Amino acid sequence: MSNKIRTIDITDSTASLDQLCDIENGTISGMMFSDEAIYRKELERIFARCWLFVAHESQIPNTGDYITTTMGEDEVIVVRQKSGEVKVFLNACPHRGNKVCFSESGSTRGFICNYHGWSFNLSGNLIGQHESSVYEDSNFDKSRWGLREVAKVDSWKGLVFATFDPESPSLEEYLGPMTWYMDALFDNQEGGTEFVGGCIRSTYECNWKIAAENFVGDALHAGWTHDSGAKAMLGGSVTKISELGESYSVNWNGHGYEFALDTVGNVAALGEKALNKYIYQIKPSAEERLGAFRSNMIASVSSCTIFPNFSFLPGQNTVRVWQPRGPNKIELYTWVLVNKSAPEDIKEKWRKGAMITFSPTGVFEMDDGENWEYSTKTAKGWVTGQQNLFIGLGMDTLKRDTSLPGNVFSGQLNEANGRAFYQYWRDLLEAESWKDVPDRNVGKAEVQ
Amino acid sequence: MEKLFLCNVSDIAENEIKKVENSTHGDIAVYNLGGTFYATADLCTHATASLSEGDIEDNLIVCPVHWGTFHIPTGKAEGFPCEIDLRTYPVEVEDGKVYALIEQMVDEGSAIIAKAN
Repeated sequence: MSNKIRTIDITDSTASLDQLCDIENGTISGMMFSDEAIYRKELERIFARCWLFVAHESQIPNTGDYITTTMGEDEVIVVRQKSGEVKVFLNACPHRGNKVCFSESGSTRGFICNYHGWSFNLSGNLIGQHESSVYEDSNFDKSRWGLREVAKVDSWKGLVFATFDPESPSLEEYLGPMTWYMDALFDNQEGGTEFVGGCIRSTYECNWKIAAENFVGDALHAGWTHDSGAKAMLGGSVTKISELGESYSVNWNGHGYEFALDTVGNVAALGEKALNKYIYQIKPSAEERLGAFRSNMIASVSSCTIFPNFSFLPGQNTVRVWQPRGPNKIELYTWVLVNKSAPEDIKEKWRKGAMITFSPTGVFEMDDGENWEYSTKTAKGWVTGQQNLFIGLGMDTLKRDTSLPGNVFSGQLNEANGRAFYQYWRDLLEAESWKDVPDRNVGKAEVQ
Repeated sequence: MEKLFLCNVSDIAENEIKKVENSTHGDIAVYNLGGTFYATADLCTHATASLSEGDIEDNLIVCPVHWGTFHIPTGKAEGFPCEIDLRTYPVEVEDGKVYALIEQMVDEGSAIIAKAN
């Protein structure tokens, strides 16, 4: 391969994905991050199709509790019903489209639009308007004009997901065997998890995929990017990840989890000895629940993205969604996750630790932000955006003889998950329907 | 004066409401506020809404549609967007039965005008 500038014919960027995203040969291109037409296609074929994380059950425990968030750029309300189920509605009045709920979270008996007083109950049904007699006199059919409800809502161990697409696979099928690994954070203790504190919101001028791909499987950046941050938090450099011993990159349907088996590598980065101690305290009971292998993952050097834009770091316990806001911008929503059964002071230490490291002013967040913004900004150059970017690390590392579920690759310093993420991205953009999305999974679907 | 049977005392738990249909006077909402019974018109004075489907908060009924409020004992419109007071009926309880005492209504339009003056 030469270092010469590449020029490709791009009359329709969305029809040139084979040139821009060539996973077989381990290359992607900046145009994937900067092109407006590709972004519009992502909203249609990824964000209006895939299962998206919308809430943690602990945010809305009681009838009438709600939070507002977005699915792609679509604003939605997530609200607990009298029956206990969760419904998700477009946060837009079906009359003139005005936003009906302006608060980020709360508890309510319903939603009333500011514009003409259309009133909706918790089930989203239109139950009245200001000057309701005028509607009644014109044979208006109230039953047709409720809040628009998403196609499907489902949850896994406290995480609530929703999809706009009635044809999408079930959440269970979508997540596949990734849940076996996710248990390491979300089910390591009796009682499960909860969010502590509120939602931290910030913006980056970066493409959503760069952030999602970082969490899907880029442990490689940590030692270099976060060197100064780690010195501030730990008094020394990031552990040399290549020396951690046994580690893996596992993916499925574009989701990816990279991890070592060092138990406490991530939590140690919060600089709170009490948290390391807590992890060692719960490890025996985690082992009882999950077995020895996964008990080594509960706060190890690891990260995960559930396609397309839900990510978390076990140990640091930051849970986040990279909300797309155009090709060159994201709004980052983050929360701090803790075990419900953890002592209050431990929960508080986690909240503080996450604020110091992975909030808008956090030492690690800042490090990442600059890299992601410049990876996005360079892509705006017409010529720069056409160049091949290398994503070929660990091409031949698939483990065929393993009892672990999913597509398993050896080593966490590996771009296998990044490739799987971008391949799934391309597959979805090119697929007319879910039936047309090729199944590229080669590992075990079953979870033992 | 008409003495209208509404319901049995046992029909309404404390701080609950019951709608009693009545085609002559309009539907009536019957309230049990801590053991004391009250009766008001069931139809909200702002827009079409059945107050008996609303929630009781202290002595107020919160309309289920636009969340306006009325004072249950007096019918006074308290919270936005309610402006016009609610008609109330004196209540009598006898032998476990709840009755409303309904006076012959003067022409309703002139009553509202009189009130505005």
